[in-house]
Amino acid sequence: MYRFSLPAFPLDNRRLVGALFLAPALLYMLLLVGFPFVLAIAFGFSDVTVGNTDLNFVGLRNYLAVWENDIFRQVFETTIRFTLVSQVFILIFANILAIIFTQDFTGKWFARFIFILPWATPVSLAMIGWLWMLDTKYSPVDYLLLQTGFLGPNGILSNNRNLFWLATPDLSQISVIFVQVWRMTPLATVILMAGLSSIPTDILDQAEVDGSRFMRTLLQIKLPLILPIMVIALLFSMITMFGDMTVVYVLTRGGPVDYTRVLGLYSFQVGIEGGNLAQGAAISLFAFPLLLAMAIFMLRTASRAEVR
Amino acid sequence: MSILIWILHNFWALLVVLLLMLVGLRIAWRFQKYGLNRAELSYVLRRSPFYLVVLTFCFFAAAPFLIMFMHSFKTDGDLYRRPQPFVFRQDPTLEHLDALFNNTAYLDFIRNSVLVGIAVVVITLLLSLPAAYALARLTGPWGERAGILMFLVYLVPPTLLFIPMFRIVVLLGLKDSPLSLIVVYPTFTIPFSMWLLSGFFKAVPPELEEAALVDGYNRVEAFLRVVLPLSLPGIISTIVFTFTLTLHEFIYGLVFIADTSQRTLSVGVPTELILGDVYFWQPLLAAALIIAIPVGLAYNLFLDSLVQGFTMGAVKG
Amino acid sequence: MSIVQLSRLKKYFGAVRAVDGVDLAIDQGEFLVILGPSGCGKTTLMRMIAGLEKPTAGQIYIGDQDVTDLPPRKRGVSMVFQSYALYPHMNVFNNIAFPLKAQRREKKYSKRAMRDKVESTARLLEIDTLLDRRPRQLSGGQRQRVAIARAMVTQPAVLLLDEPLSNLDAKLRANARDELKDFQRSSNITAVFVTHDQIEAMGLGDRIVVMSEGKIQQIGSPQRIYDDPANEFVATFLGSPSMNILSNEGFRFGFRPEHFLPKTLQDNPENSRIFRYFVKRVEYLGSDRLVYGYVRGHDSALTLAKVPSNVRVSLDIEVDYEFAVHNSDIKYFDRSSGQRIEQQTLAQSD
Repeated sequence: MYRFSLPAFPLDNRRLVGALFLAPALLYMLLLVGFPFVLAIAFGFSDVTVGNTDLNFVGLRNYLAVWENDIFRQVFETTIRFTLVSQVFILIFANILAIIFTQDFTGKWFARFIFILPWATPVSLAMIGWLWMLDTKYSPVDYLLLQTGFLGPNGILSNNRNLFWLATPDLSQISVIFVQVWRMTPLATVILMAGLSSIPTDILDQAEVDGSRFMRTLLQIKLPLILPIMVIALLFSMITMFGDMTVVYVLTRGGPVDYTRVLGLYSFQVGIEGGNLAQGAAISLFAFPLLLAMAIFMLRTASRAEVR
Repeated sequence: MSILIWILHNFWALLVVLLLMLVGLRIAWRFQKYGLNRAELSYVLRRSPFYLVVLTFCFFAAAPFLIMFMHSFKTDGDLYRRPQPFVFRQDPTLEHLDALFNNTAYLDFIRNSVLVGIAVVVITLLLSLPAAYALARLTGPWGERAGILMFLVYLVPPTLLFIPMFRIVVLLGLKDSPLSLIVVYPTFTIPFSMWLLSGFFKAVPPELEEAALVDGYNRVEAFLRVVLPLSLPGIISTIVFTFTLTLHEFIYGLVFIADTSQRTLSVGVPTELILGDVYFWQPLLAAALIIAIPVGLAYNLFLDSLVQGFTMGAVKG
Repeated sequence: MSIVQLSRLKKYFGAVRAVDGVDLAIDQGEFLVILGPSGCGKTTLMRMIAGLEKPTAGQIYIGDQDVTDLPPRKRGVSMVFQSYALYPHMNVFNNIAFPLKAQRREKKYSKRAMRDKVESTARLLEIDTLLDRRPRQLSGGQRQRVAIARAMVTQPAVLLLDEPLSNLDAKLRANARDELKDFQRSSNITAVFVTHDQIEAMGLGDRIVVMSEGKIQQIGSPQRIYDDPANEFVATFLGSPSMNILSNEGFRFGFRPEHFLPKTLQDNPENSRIFRYFVKRVEYLGSDRLVYGYVRGHDSALTLAKVPSNVRVSLDIEVDYEFAVHNSDIKYFDRSSGQRIEQQTLAQSD
């Protein structure tokens, strides 16, 4: 018969202490992430609303309704478009900035402070600044364009005095993507900086002695070596971006019409503001397989890439 | 006061003059050190495009903040009538700052955010310090798997969970109370700080703990007395970043709390300082900037440490 | 004919004088070893020759050209780092081909010529079967060969080697040392080799440069440096155990432990100095006995003797013996500067 017994010196037992140390955090996460996650799936199969909290099983009705909803299709598309387009710019800028900030130059500390600000500022607060910058009537950007002859009567861009950054279909999308790039480039940069500074100096010295110039060292040595870390940076910013609703909540509330409505915001509007918890849960769950596939694909790429 | 008015009146000119002065001083310092010769001149010329690129990026990053700063001091008349955003046509005023602190719930937001932040930091540290140490040292392959799982959980965005979380919060009777945020925020701060902390713990040489074990401590004491004090700088930077994560959070704060006086900064400022369609622009901009600057400074101060923890955390083993 | 010439070369890092006025001429085809303790400036000196550090003052000539302000790629040097610094994401072929590709524009290699060069260099170093492997699939010895092949493929005027043997384990190291020397001789390349290991230096170098505190202490053949040290630093730095140094009125003198023998074993007692030697402890090292004790009259300085085990002399501890050193084996040093001085008369010890 097996009898449970503690090891002779429990506090010296590596595995026991390890399990003991890990358990509270794991338990907390299991309770507060695992349970809601299961609940989200259950909600998706039910007819729960804010008013009526009974969970009645309704099968795939919510998912089908969501999938056949044209607005949802558009929202889904917009989310993917925003995510992909912004990543391209984020990667380009982050690479340039990471190379800049891994070099020594005068005023680096201050420049770094400035360039980190967009990331350090709580998103919703930074968006207030942009809301003003892109205001329909008072936008300082429009003012500059007006003064330089791009706007106003006989303006190059428009005869109007304003461009309506957040109020026209195309510009509102461009604006949202621009602001997302603005606020997420620093994080990607910091991750890439970590990668660049972990390249052994011997390798870079060797490349120099071998006769390699700046661009060759960059393209054939540095970038291939930080590729795995670049993938991690991409994963981080894609998933943040995909699940984000703060930017559009403050800037446009999804408007004009549905042009900047993204998945997170739509789920919030249907589930909380509209009170239909079941549909809201179903909407956000559509994102999950995509996110999971993305995460698995990228982590695999990162671990497969040859380093060392 | 009159100095502030003068500074604001000449804001852009002062900015440009200051920048030129710094650049000039730097170049003058180089000439002073290496002599004013052709090689030196060509060095300065060769280097300038680089600085131009840096300046351009800095300008794009800083533009909204500069505007925020300037416009916090504009009178209503100056702000709205025939906009001229880059100059003051009427003397700058502090009335909006005054109103922000005295007539709005801004101070409540700050208090709530600080309370939530501190409580979450405490919970996070209590749970993630031992867990991170277990990941870094104590557990074998199954611990590593648990670590990867945690990392994946960090990647589950709040937009996926806020609806069921909202139900749970309501069931627990925590709706409209900052307590709800204190309970829920650790779900993303714990994985984050575990990852960072395990990086810092891995940087402590294992021989030191082994020496402590030989000297008569058990594993728990070795962790408390040797590893924790040695990782203190890392722990401090984890505290800073955990706190700012809670400051950034928006969705849960928006969904769980509808009561104005209980809201946190990131939710309260953009929702409560707007009445219907009426934006109180100057207090709004000031409220955002007042938070942005200290957080930015903290980030810059602890960035190197964050990068170090990040790289160490990513190294396997 | 000298291929590299350094003239009053200096490198200061803030207040630290890493290299402090070095003059040196390196001959075509020689194997020059720069030897010194860590922090003596030897690696900085080599990095300046490579062009990785800009000198604070002084000139560097390679061939007839002043290369002081030229970047590494214009100097015709190549370098093997202590870590080998192989590019981890490239296979062996691409590692070796990298310098050729990098200098392709200036030297105008065809693709065909590049492939031939890489393959012939690889054959020379017997790694031609490994060309498809990644660096992490190679053993330490193979990595070193790849690093040397990469350095040799451009046929540089000078090959710089920064402690390339220190990452190998002891067994491989002796073997690698022989191969390196053979390879250098057969290819007749000029090699500059930095090390802190005197055995490596003695075994490899045609000439050895001994450095300390950023300055050259002595240049010469291994034998010259060992037998005829220019100053007290060189005398004590080389040899293990190191030279015994004793103080006298106005000067210091020294002799090596293996020259310090019981009087009865000295073949030429008339030309020798006799010391009364008090034995404290004897260690048996197999082929030798290492004796620790004091020379009477110099009781504060621990003095060592290395006595071959195959001679039948019994040495008991806590006993005085008569030991002798050949006059020619005693070196004299200035008390303050440490420089070698002419033979001095020693008062006969009693």
